[in-house]
Formats: sequence, structure tokens, C-alpha cells
Amino acid sequence: MATTAVDDRRSGPPGPLPDAPPGPRRRRPGSRLKRRNTLIGWSFILPNFIGFALLTLIPVVTLFYLSLTEWNVFGGAEWVGLDNFTRLVGDPSYRTALWNTIYYSAVHIPATLVASLCLALLLNRKLRGVAFFRTVAFFPYITSIVAIAVVWNMLFSPEYGPINQFLSFLGVENPPGWTTSADSSMPAVIIVGVWREMGYYMLLLLAGLQTVPPELYEAARVDGAGAWSRFWNVTLPCLRPTMFFVTVILTINSLKVFDLILVMTDGGPGQSTLVLSQFIYAKGFEENQFGYASAVAVTLFFLCITVTIVQFLWNRRRDA
Amino acid sequence: MAAVSPPAAGASATPLRPAQVRARWRRQASRVAGYTALAVAAAGILLPFVWMVISSLKENNQVFTVPLQWIPDPFVWQNYVDIWAKSDMTTWIKNTLVLSVSVTFLQVLTGSFAAYGFSKMRFPGRDALFLLYVATIAVPWQAYMIPQFVMLSNVGLSNTLWSILALQTFSAFGVFLMKQYYESIPESLSEAARIDGMSEYGIWRRIILPLSTPAIASLTLLTFVNTWNDYLGPLIYLRSPDLWTLQLGLQTFVGQYNAEHALIMAGSVISVLPIAVIFLFGQKFFVQGIATAGVKG
Amino acid sequence: MKRMIPTAAGTAAVVLALTACSSGSGGDEPAAAAEGPVTLTLAGWSLSTTPEFQTLADAYHEENPDVTVELAEYDATEYDTQMIADLAAGSAPDIYVQKNLKNFWTYQDGGQLMDVSDVTEGLDPATGGVDFYEVDGSSYAVPYRQDSWVLYYNKDLFEQAGVAEPDGSWTWDDYATAAEDLTSGLEEAGSDALGTYQHSWQSVVQGFALAQTEGADLTSGDFGYLEPFYDQAVALQDAGAQADFGTVTTNQLTYQAQFGTQQAAMMPMGSWYVATLLAQQESGEADEFEWGMAPIPQADASTTGTDATPVTFGDPTGLGINPALDEEKVAAAKDFLAFAAGEGGAQALAEIGITPALLSDSVVETYFGLDGVPTDELSQFAFATHDTRPENPVDADTAALQNILGDTHSEIMSESSSVADAIEGAESRAAAEVG
Repeated sequence: MATTAVDDRRSGPPGPLPDAPPGPRRRRPGSRLKRRNTLIGWSFILPNFIGFALLTLIPVVTLFYLSLTEWNVFGGAEWVGLDNFTRLVGDPSYRTALWNTIYYSAVHIPATLVASLCLALLLNRKLRGVAFFRTVAFFPYITSIVAIAVVWNMLFSPEYGPINQFLSFLGVENPPGWTTSADSSMPAVIIVGVWREMGYYMLLLLAGLQTVPPELYEAARVDGAGAWSRFWNVTLPCLRPTMFFVTVILTINSLKVFDLILVMTDGGPGQSTLVLSQFIYAKGFEENQFGYASAVAVTLFFLCITVTIVQFLWNRRRDA
Repeated sequence: MAAVSPPAAGASATPLRPAQVRARWRRQASRVAGYTALAVAAAGILLPFVWMVISSLKENNQVFTVPLQWIPDPFVWQNYVDIWAKSDMTTWIKNTLVLSVSVTFLQVLTGSFAAYGFSKMRFPGRDALFLLYVATIAVPWQAYMIPQFVMLSNVGLSNTLWSILALQTFSAFGVFLMKQYYESIPESLSEAARIDGMSEYGIWRRIILPLSTPAIASLTLLTFVNTWNDYLGPLIYLRSPDLWTLQLGLQTFVGQYNAEHALIMAGSVISVLPIAVIFLFGQKFFVQGIATAGVKG
Repeated sequence: MKRMIPTAAGTAAVVLALTACSSGSGGDEPAAAAEGPVTLTLAGWSLSTTPEFQTLADAYHEENPDVTVELAEYDATEYDTQMIADLAAGSAPDIYVQKNLKNFWTYQDGGQLMDVSDVTEGLDPATGGVDFYEVDGSSYAVPYRQDSWVLYYNKDLFEQAGVAEPDGSWTWDDYATAAEDLTSGLEEAGSDALGTYQHSWQSVVQGFALAQTEGADLTSGDFGYLEPFYDQAVALQDAGAQADFGTVTTNQLTYQAQFGTQQAAMMPMGSWYVATLLAQQESGEADEFEWGMAPIPQADASTTGTDATPVTFGDPTGLGINPALDEEKVAAAKDFLAFAAGEGGAQALAEIGITPALLSDSVVETYFGLDGVPTDELSQFAFATHDTRPENPVDADTAALQNILGDTHSEIMSESSSVADAIEGAESRAAAEVG
């Protein structure tokens, strides 16, 4: 029993780590406990980790190897060192795809975050019919992507579409051509992306909002805090673990965006909406250059991981 | 937070002063405005779905027209009859259901279990391992699906439902989601249990799991939807028609040069309905807070 | 996996040496297939709506009761993705379809196709598209189906607009003039139908440019040959004689509905559309109207007229053998290929409205004997007489170049850049990214 009690001090995250200095005498049992703790920790992780390692980790490691080879799927892979990566540097299409991916993400991530947070706050109330509205907000995510492409393209239609009719009603002189013009196709795709995914992230944020203890709101209200201050000082700090999760997933999913663009514009007009995932697919499955495609995937991986680590460190600094 | 109070509760007890009447009026008006805004937004959000339903009731050649035709003429209910008669919908739904239910169950189970290890235990290498988990989410599946497919084929799993089960169950997403949620559960709860002599497994089972209903509910729904709607996975792994899932079956059902869009839309409507129903009835679990779960922090 | 391939290729080479002389002219009862029952597997897609695979399998089984051909179903749009995965894992069927020429190189270069030169040698020399599958003097697939592009036209709408029907002498200029006349004529007659409909595919412009321009070569990286064809396509949509590209893509217009419900009086399209149109007229999805086929308009007058051979384009659909199949099945598989590409297969395909690669007189007769196929002389001429060039000449760089030109197509047709600028951009991309 005594061990469990110590054990528990060790695993409690808040406050300074009990591991650190408390004197030489506790060292021995400390390291035994550490081992025990490690064992228990692994026993939790293992069932999922075995599957994960076999099914995801190994193929991903293979991918890294393949990025250093020339491989046409069927034969053996031929080692070419960093050739694929030097080729990437001089490939104008790769640069276009990279730039478009960053453009898409830079706008899509904050916009989706704000939209889904507003939705979650709005629908986390005891309104009449709130169940219906929550379901509605989630519907874009489950609607057939073909239907999404058709209806949005119709809404965006330059001459007859309701969006441009509304814009010219507002007095806009030259309404954009949206998906039919290289200048405005990316904004159009981003708008649809936000519309489609906000319900998805709303759901995750709704779950997170339940962890905010109501007592804190009461206390803030008693202190005379307004709605904005309550949101800023109570809701947001309590929501941080969920916000972190949502931001990371949203970032990765935006950098990986694929099917929406495929059905909306197929990368066009020209290369105006070509993104990295699409580039990978084209190089691999259409042009049969899997080594080169793997190299592109590796760069996408590093892009994602860099952003994620920054988010991770940022989150931890604020945790401390 | 529970801002909107039930209408006129207790208000009639005392006579109202004019200021109170005005305040109530303003509240009522803002509520009406709020609902109107919500209703308009809902209609806008649902538009593509509405189009889907309308198209499913049209003749094939009327689906894509300029300008868009919003009322089918005539209503072709036959599409729904046809898709049942011409396709093997029952098998597809059965396969999809089997997969979605078992993937969801396993993912929630192993995911929440692993999440406990990542969030409530401290041991060397934990954060690095976790980062590795998250990092793999960043690799697009198309990039490594061939090595993965070859591997699973070599152990004889391709062209079986097991392959999809294996593919979907161990996603890093579920672990990540549950871990983040666990971190917001006050540590004092598990601490108290440890002092009472409860093992880590017991704490996970008796304290943490019951407290994470909203997270489990959203993970359940998202996993279910993703498995239900997955197309590329079944496309690569399942060849025999008796193993097809709903999405794969519907897509394959479209002829090459002769896309039957109206039928496809009928199929899509059918495929969306179960999810809509599950969501409508399950959504109350997403907002079941810690307080309502009966434990105070 | 990596170990398996050389073995399979080795086996194939041995088998080839052994069977090189056994396969004779198509359709004959082969000596090699006589040893007991053999089961072959054949890849196909969308089997419930695409009967050609079952038709070939049944017709062959009828002639060779010892050989059963079983179908393996693939997805129509993701066929190549699935097939690449299956071949890589060693679980692909014995015989698989080369859906288009764009991916043929992938399979051939990857060692996934058995040399079938001996089958090709036995084929009727009139079979279309045979030499498209040749690499370094050997053949790796045989064509069983060869669609080529013709001009469909709606006789009723021509009459309504008071425009003379095509007579086989048209160049693209005549076609453009007719499209504009039709549009204005139809407008006067109170119809909203347009003169013509060109679908949003890049091949609708580029296929003809490549086939009909003297000296045009996709792999040269010099795309100047596209310019006059694009100038005309852009002019047509600017003149309103055809739905503009933005409308076509944003509204996902289908060519079947555009021509079938009389929204356009003409439409360049592949010969596969005949069967679709007939089926849709039967089911009521398409209107009932008189229609016909004319030879596709030509770049200049030298190849026009019914005494010349019009130049058009189209990729054949071929059958290839998976080198990993069992040794004892090779003879039967080759015999099946010979049958499918020969008279027997062609007759069976023509009966279900498919355009076979072998258009012998009797096959054409069978085809035009189908209910509803227009039997006028020009239609028969357009269907049977043409010099069909490949849309995707077989080369290592074809897929990459076609992807670049696909971007160019949407860039030009959406009028995001001028024709000359877009082509110049494609040329510099080709230089930087390919080869």
C-alpha cells in the first residue's frame, strides 16, 4: 500500500516533479518505482502500440527508405541517395504545390478554429432544439463529397450563382470568378473547407467544454466578470488541452488536404489549387515514380512535424 | 452558461415593473432573432444535403442542368426501389455495420487505455513516443499504402474484412483525443483513489472512464463516421463483391461511361441516414459534463 | 515481393520459349489447352453495367469448353490504382485489361506484362491499335477494342436551324462555322440548344491536335502544335456556340445529357457513346431524335471527303497477361487473347454495341444490324474508316507530360492565361520536370 501512495505522487503531473531532488536515501526505491511505473505505463500503451507499430510505423519507415530510392512499385528499389530531394528543389510544380498547401493552411486553420469555436459555444447551451442544430452543424461532414462539389460550384457560378448575384447587389463591380478563375479558386476552396469541417471540430470542442467546472463560472460571475472576460479567463484556459488537440489535428489535416480539392477543382484552373497530397498521388499512381512521390511525402511529413513540435512546446510552456 | 432560462418561470409571482417588462421584451426579441439566424444558417448549411435528396428523386439526365432545377419533375421514387433491386445493398450495409461497430469498439477501448498511459503515467521516453504517434498522422496514407498493402497481403489479410479492421483500429487519432481529455480531468480524483489503494487499472476503469463520457461519445461517433464513409481503404483491400462496404459498393456501381448520378445520390442519402439518426440521439452524450456525471472535482 | 518478380519474369521467359510456336491464328482450337480443364481469371470493372468482359468470357468458353474464364471485379475509376496494388502484392488476375495507353508503360516497364508477340503475329493485320503496344520490337498486349472519335450530330436540330448536315468534307473551320450558324439558327427557331458541345476533357482539343498536326510529337516537349486548336476552342466558347468551360466544370455537365437531351446539335465524342445513347433513348433518359455520325473534322482538306481516310484519335483497350500466372495456363491465356482480338471476339463485342479493334466487313455488318444504330452511309463510313492515332503514345514520359498538359488545358479554357502564354508555360515545365 505504501508503494502505491508514493507511486501516485510520482504520476501526478501538476506541481514540480517529485522525482527531482529529495535526497540520496530515496534513490534506490525511487529507481525501482520508476521501473515499475514504466512497466505499468507500457502495459497501458502496448495493446494499441503493437497494432500501431506493425500497421503504421513499419510502412512509414519503409516510406522514408523509399524516398532515397527510385522505385516503380514492381521491381526492387534502386538506391539513389538524396537525388529525389535535389530534384524537388528544382521542380517548379513542387514549389507551386508547397506554396498552395501553405496558403490553404494559413487561411483555413484560423478560420475553421474560430468558426468551430463559435459554433461550440453557441450550441453548448440549453436552447430549445439544440439537438437539431448540432446535428445540422455536423451534416456537412457527412454529406457526400460529390454533392458538396456540385452545390458549391453552382453557388459559386460566376454569372448565375447566388453568391455573385448577392455581391453585385452589394455593389461589387467585378465579382470574382471563384472556381473558374485561377485568381480566386483557392479562396473558394477554403470557404468550402471551413464550411465542411467546422462541425467536425465543433464536436471535439463541445466535448472539451464539458470539462469546464461550472463553479468557476459562478465565481467569475460573482467577481463581476463580463461574458468576454469569462470566456477569456475561464473557458479558454480550461479548454486548452482540447484546443491543443484540435489545433494539431486541424493543422495536419489542412496540410494533407486532398479529396475536397480533388472534387472541387482537381487542382485547377492551371495549377492554382494544386496541393502536396495531390502532387504525391499524381507522381506515384499516375506517373509511377514512387520513390519521388515518397520524397515529397517525407517533406510534407517534416513540415507537419515541425509545426506540431512548435505547437507541442508552446503548449507545454504554457502548461508549466 | 445556461443562459436562456425557461420562459416566464416564476415571473408572474409579483407584478412587473416597466423596466422588467422591457427587459423581458428585449430578451424575447433577441431570442427570436437568434433562432431566426440559426434557422437561416441551418438552411444554408443543409443546402448541399437538400440538393442530394432532390437529385435522388430526379431522372438521371436532370441531375446536372443549367440552371439548376430545384423541383424534380417528375418525382422518381423508382430510384430508391432500383438501387435496392439492382445492387447488393443489404450485403454492403451488413459489412459496413460489422466493420464500423467493431472498429469503433476496439479503437475506443485500446485508444482510451493507451491514453491513460500517456497522460496519467510518467516514464522515460513517454513524450517522444507520443510525438511519434502524432507524427504518423502527418503522413498521407496514399504515400505508404502500397508497402502496407504488400505487407498485409503477404500475411493473407488482403481481401478480408480483417484488413480494414486492422487498418482503422489502431489510429493515433483516438489515443491523442482521449489523452488530451484525460489531462483536463483533475488529478486530485485519481490521487484520492490511489490513497485508497486502487490500482492504476482500477482508476482507469472506475474513475477516468466514467468521467470521460463526452470524449468517448465524440470519439465513438467520429470513428464510426470515418469507418462508415471510408472509401480508399476498402477500395484497395476488398475485391470480392460479398465483402464490399457501402461506399465502395456505391462507387463501383456507377458505370464507367454512364454515371447514374440520380441512383448514386439515392444511395448516398441512404448511407447518410443511419449516421444522422445516431447523431441525433447520441448528441446528448457529447455534452454530458463532469458535473452531471455525478462526481465533483 | 522483391524476390518474387525476377522469378516470375524468369518463368515467363522459359514458358515463352516453350510455347512460342504453339499459338496459331485466333479462334482455332489450340493444342496446348487440351490438357484437362483450365480456369483463367480476367480483370474487369463495373461488371453489372459493363457486359463486355462477361461476353468475351462466355463466347470463349463456348468455343473452348475446357477453359473457364472467371471475372475479377475492379472499380471503374480507380482501376489502375487497384491493379498496381494487386500486382505489387502478387494477387492480380491472370489476364488484365489495359484500360488506356497512359498506364501501359507503367505495367510494361515494371515487368508486369508477358511478351505476347506470338499472339500479335497471328492477328488479322487490319486489327486497329496493335502496334501501339509494341516496345523494342515486342508486343506486350493485344487490343480487343478500339474506340475512335467521330462527330455525332442531331439531324432534327440541323433541320430546325436550317443548316446543311455534315457530308464528310468538313475541316475544323467548316465545323466552327456550322456551330455558329446552328446556334443562331436555333435561337431564331426558339430553341436554347447550342451549336456544339465539347466536353471538358483535355483530349477533346489535344487529342485532335496531336493526331492531325504534321510532325506533332508529344514527347518532344514542343507543344506549339496545340495553338491553332486552342485558338479555335476558345473562339467557339467566346462566340457562345458552345457551353463555356466554367459552366461545364462548375455544373458538372455530362456529355450524355448535353447531346441526349438535345442541348447541343453536334458533339465530338468516342464511338463508345453509340451504345450509351441507344440505351438511354430506350430507357427514356435521352430524347427520341434522328442522329448520325460523321467523320471528325480535319485540320486541312487533304484528308477530307469519303474517298480519303480521315485522321482521328483514340486509345485502344487491350488485354495483357500477368507474368506471374501458372506456367500451364500460359497457352490457354494466349489463346484467349487471340480469340478476344480476333474475329470471334469482335463479333461477340459488336453484338453488344462495343467497337471491336477488328473491324472486318462482317463485324461492321453485325454492328449496324443493331436496333437504332443509324444506318446511313456517312455513319457507316465514319464508324469503319479512319486512321486512328494514339492519344497517349507509349513512352516513359507520357503520363508526366499529359499531366502538365492537363493543367494547361484548364488554364487556357478557363481563360486564366492566353493560349500562347499557357503553352509556353507548359513547355518550360516539361523541360524542368520531365526527362
